Amino acid sequence: MRLHPPVGDASCDVTVIGAGPTGLFAAYYAGFRGLSVTVVDAQSAVGGQVAALYPAKTIHDVAGFPSVTGAELVARLVDQAMVYGPRMVLGHQAVDIVGGPAGSSLRVTLDDGTEIRSRAVILATGVGGIRPRTLPSGDVWHGRGVTYLVPEPGAHQGEDVVIVGGGDSALDWALQLQPIARAVTVIHRRKAFRAHAASLRRAAGLGIELLTECEIEEFRGAGRLASVVIRDVTGARREIPADTVVGALGVISAPSPFAEWGIEVQGRRLPVDSTMSTNVDGVFAIGDVSTYRGKIALIATGFGEAATAVNNVAVMIDPAEPLAPEHSTDESVVPQAAAHRDAEVVTA
Amino acid sequence: MTYVIGKECIDVQDHSCVDACPVDCIYEGPRKNYINPLECIDCGACEIVCPEVAIFPGRKARTEERREFTADNAAFFSLPLPGRSEPLGSPGGAEQLGPVGADTPLVDGWPRQ
Repeated sequence: MRLHPPVGDASCDVTVIGAGPTGLFAAYYAGFRGLSVTVVDAQSAVGGQVAALYPAKTIHDVAGFPSVTGAELVARLVDQAMVYGPRMVLGHQAVDIVGGPAGSSLRVTLDDGTEIRSRAVILATGVGGIRPRTLPSGDVWHGRGVTYLVPEPGAHQGEDVVIVGGGDSALDWALQLQPIARAVTVIHRRKAFRAHAASLRRAAGLGIELLTECEIEEFRGAGRLASVVIRDVTGARREIPADTVVGALGVISAPSPFAEWGIEVQGRRLPVDSTMSTNVDGVFAIGDVSTYRGKIALIATGFGEAATAVNNVAVMIDPAEPLAPEHSTDESVVPQAAAHRDAEVVTA
Repeated sequence: MTYVIGKECIDVQDHSCVDACPVDCIYEGPRKNYINPLECIDCGACEIVCPEVAIFPGRKARTEERREFTADNAAFFSLPLPGRSEPLGSPGGAEQLGPVGADTPLVDGWPRQ
């Protein structure tokens, strides 16, 4: 193995977008192939869909693991990737990818304006970034009273707070804000709340108003939000004071605007060839976001796709490199890392 | 194979599944909801929130009736619904599409529950 110095104006050899299982394995594999790598993920935590949606579920079809939870698999993938010290950029979304003339680097722009220059980009974006589901009419009020997160409950001291949603996060926020806020109202468009019955009883006991089959029809205020008009299923309306409306409507995936980046899209997926390359030079796609004849969206296949993509990236960057890697069994770094991890398990 | 909504949803439509789906692939007919097999990512978030226990993974459809509903969920999107000339296909999100004004013939003809 030899480490390449980044070529030309590139700050690294390869940028992996998406830190789910497939992206993490690609990060490991890039390191193994001697490539410097930056991993970007819109979430502040690694693990992608597995970590966000089913960390506690047991997975049975990952080679070598008769049974492994999503969380444990992610932890092991991180251990493996970290052997080569990839640069991790979490909590930032890639908003643009621009290619240059042949031989120059690709520029990935992040939501804070930062630019990452690399010779190749591997898209491992799965179903896309996960963002909070927005309130139907609240977009223009975002930041002027409408929020989707409550990072500092103390900021809502003495406020009238309306929380929209019927699940546990809506009730958790209601219970958290009740001692601080002047009044808390939870409204849900369905017939019944999904949150735990115990939370609902506690909320009702604390004087939190729980309204079902209601929706916010109108947001009112001069500049900042002051009240909302609620309409119930019978069509009856009432206006209640609201300094803050918290949208707790769960999350929804938001695919990246690949087409705007010039990448061919098929449905929500990106067609790739047998090297995992998209139609754009230097841009590869692996895992659930990629598609080809016979594609199966599984973690198991994503790992193979990661290895295929990275080996082809290595040759693309340096045509003198062989496509096939050295045997990982020749690497001395890996056993050391494994020993380190075992030591951690023992002392835990 | 993706998740499927069974007969327990007919005339109930609690819609908790719609709120839980991270890819917004659960579409609303007049009497029943349907999961789009082209858009479902097989995460199972809907299965655990359904108070009617109507949702199951299609691959675990052991009874004839559940197999019938598995095929019917797919048919909602792959075949033209009554009164339409084109199948729904993959609209890419239920919220922006809104309620679909028709059910499959199987659900339409189901006795009122």
